[in-house]
Amino acid sequence: MTPTTDPPAAATAPPRGPAIYFDGTCSARNDVLVEAGTAGLQIFSADRHLLDEWLYAELRRQAAPDGVLRLGRNGETLLARLEVRDSALAAAIEDRAVTLDRGGAAERKLRRKVVILSLAAVVSLIFTAIIGVPVLATRLTPLIPVSVEQKLGNAVDSQIRATLDTKHLGAAFVCGTGSSGAAGQAALDKLVGKLKTAAALPYPLRVDVVRRPDFNAFALPGGHIYVFQGLIDRAQSPDELAGVLAHEIGHVAHRDGTRTVLQTAGLSFLFGMMLGDFVGGGAVVIAAKTVLRSSYSRRAEASADTYSVVLMRKVGGDPRALATILERVMAEKDEGIKILADHPDTKDRIVAINAAAPAVATTPLLGAADWAALKQICAPLPASGTAPASGTAPAGGTAVGGGQK
Amino acid sequence: MATIEILSPIVPAVAVRFLGKEDAYWRLRIKGAALVVVTLGIYRFWLATDVRRFLWSNTEISGDTLEYNGLATELLVGFLFAVAILVPLYMVFALVMLELGMVAIKPALIGFALLALLGEYALYRARRYRLTRTVFRGLRFDQHGSPWRYACYALVCWGIVIVTLGLAYPWTQAFLERFKMRNTSYGDLQGRFEGSGLSLFLRGLPMWLLIVGPIVVALGVLSAQIDWDALSRLMEKGDDDAAKMIGNMLAPGIGIAIAAASISLIALPLLYPVFQAVKLRWWISGLRFGEVAVTSRLRIRQVYRVYLRLMLYLFLLGLLASIMGGMTVFAVVGIVRLIHNATLTQVVVGAISLLLYVVVMIGSSTIYQVIVAAGLWRLGVDTAALTGGQALDGVRATGSASSALGEGLADALGVGSI
Repeated sequence: MTPTTDPPAAATAPPRGPAIYFDGTCSARNDVLVEAGTAGLQIFSADRHLLDEWLYAELRRQAAPDGVLRLGRNGETLLARLEVRDSALAAAIEDRAVTLDRGGAAERKLRRKVVILSLAAVVSLIFTAIIGVPVLATRLTPLIPVSVEQKLGNAVDSQIRATLDTKHLGAAFVCGTGSSGAAGQAALDKLVGKLKTAAALPYPLRVDVVRRPDFNAFALPGGHIYVFQGLIDRAQSPDELAGVLAHEIGHVAHRDGTRTVLQTAGLSFLFGMMLGDFVGGGAVVIAAKTVLRSSYSRRAEASADTYSVVLMRKVGGDPRALATILERVMAEKDEGIKILADHPDTKDRIVAINAAAPAVATTPLLGAADWAALKQICAPLPASGTAPASGTAPAGGTAVGGGQK
Repeated sequence: MATIEILSPIVPAVAVRFLGKEDAYWRLRIKGAALVVVTLGIYRFWLATDVRRFLWSNTEISGDTLEYNGLATELLVGFLFAVAILVPLYMVFALVMLELGMVAIKPALIGFALLALLGEYALYRARRYRLTRTVFRGLRFDQHGSPWRYACYALVCWGIVIVTLGLAYPWTQAFLERFKMRNTSYGDLQGRFEGSGLSLFLRGLPMWLLIVGPIVVALGVLSAQIDWDALSRLMEKGDDDAAKMIGNMLAPGIGIAIAAASISLIALPLLYPVFQAVKLRWWISGLRFGEVAVTSRLRIRQVYRVYLRLMLYLFLLGLLASIMGGMTVFAVVGIVRLIHNATLTQVVVGAISLLLYVVVMIGSSTIYQVIVAAGLWRLGVDTAALTGGQALDGVRATGSASSALGEGLADALGVGSI
């Protein structure tokens, strides 16, 4: 041996130090001596027996309190552990084993990746909600059988009635049932009949006028349309009423009710199940759902307006009558918060309707006598003297109604 | 470290202590909360894993700390599994409701019971996941037993607790805890639970008398004042005056009812820390693993201190939020003057109030997690001691890791814990 080879060997004497070793089969704690060799760690018992040998490549850092380097072996079913508290030895091991991620740089990089990918997922899910959900709902709606839609309508119907019915008005909730309303009902049937024939809907249509003072009408899934007395009172011609009815028939023809249910289900899945599950997230979920739902709804309203124009032209009515009645009612209404509104801006609707419909001279869809009878459809029954006159509903019956029409 | 082993035959009680620093935990929680909000909740799996690593790693038993070796990705996969199970289930519920009409009470109740059952099932499976990811001295904990059976027991127990106005709670807790612990093991060391329902009942009875007692007494007094015969005669006639008559009969009792309700309402928050302390101490000192028994020296005043700190921090958060809210109002007024766009203003105001709400909510939750959840963990650990700890030195390995499905279900159903 030449003396030149010896000094380097002495200088690179492997670092060693005390550690605690658990062999993974027994909970006994072994005080050991660990030597950080070139390829791996050699674990010696107190009496200098080689207990185990761990390669650097298979070392894995495990969760531990501050000041402890806890090591396990990758891909090992046994949970053998080596705990190093000697900081010099720990540093030496970290120097030699790249997998241990000294200083946690790799872990931080991984966390950054998690956050960035999560943000990407959030953005992607939001885009899905804005674009994908309405498209998917539109594609799925025709696949839902009409019978299911009617069942859905019946279920909603009982709830709607329970909330809308202001029993203390002293008369039946639905107008046109008594002798005084019979003529009005007949006129309404005539008007609806004309629209129905032209619309050629896949399922029966039912129109009820109900004793509510608000200016409103809405269609339920399954083809049940409610018209509020307040709307009849404000309509100045049969074509105005027909325009609103045609708009609602548009919702029925487009099956907007079913589509809304599908959209809501899709939104609840995205916001609520996939996203927003944290304390305070409920408000975020509600806000996101409300904004998105009203944006879907505005699109549906616009296309129902278009439908109204087309249907009115088909039956030979005034296609601009819907715009006329909207314009008149606009004066009494406050528009509310725009991104939360379920209907487009009334001014924009009027412009859009007038742009789509030519100004044509038409004859009213109902004769003067029929129209007069229809206006009286909610007239009080002659027998019940206590019932208030139509159109002058008590103040208690306002404000429950839905959005503006 | 070796000194403890040398001393252990002489001193039978083995030290259990918590090593973690609260400021480190604050940092972990605050950073985690911010990332959870930014990722709309997706980061919660990583936060939960960090939290467990911290709490486990800093819990030292007889000189060695616990280790949590679960992974956040396992929780994420478990959650996706749960979604895959729950979505079809919710769809079936929706269809059944539709088929039977929205107002049908029975299917709604059955659905609720099913979800409650699934929730308890998830809790039991989640406990298994956590135990099989808990390593101590190179061996893992384990849990066996049918989660469905546990879920059925738990549901029946809740029913009994409700029917008995809470009086049966100690026994049902003892029963469920016995089930959990006799299915728990550390290596080949079998767990069991020795806390008795009666001892918890005796310690809890004064609290029950102060909180539920006044309401029971008031109800008794009120029902004694009602002339049931007269009332049933009125009901038969279908008279509208029945309600008025009940009112007349009850009028003298209203004062008693209000007094009773106020006693309960005052007693409830005052006694809640006592309840927590009594229950935690009872639970810890009932834990057994083979020869190893746990004892607890937890004092009620220590738990009170925890809740007082909570109140203080929540108050400070509220103060901070009010100041921020006030500044927001000023800023918005300024914006409105600058830009005359109503829609934009509405959006800005909406977004700011939403943000403020989220900050307050997640802030309160973070404060609760640090001060109460981790605080009680620390207290429970620091006041515990082991007897027969020598048995911990010769335990042999058994068991294997389990899937995170239960965690995922618990998370999706909103019943998870630390």
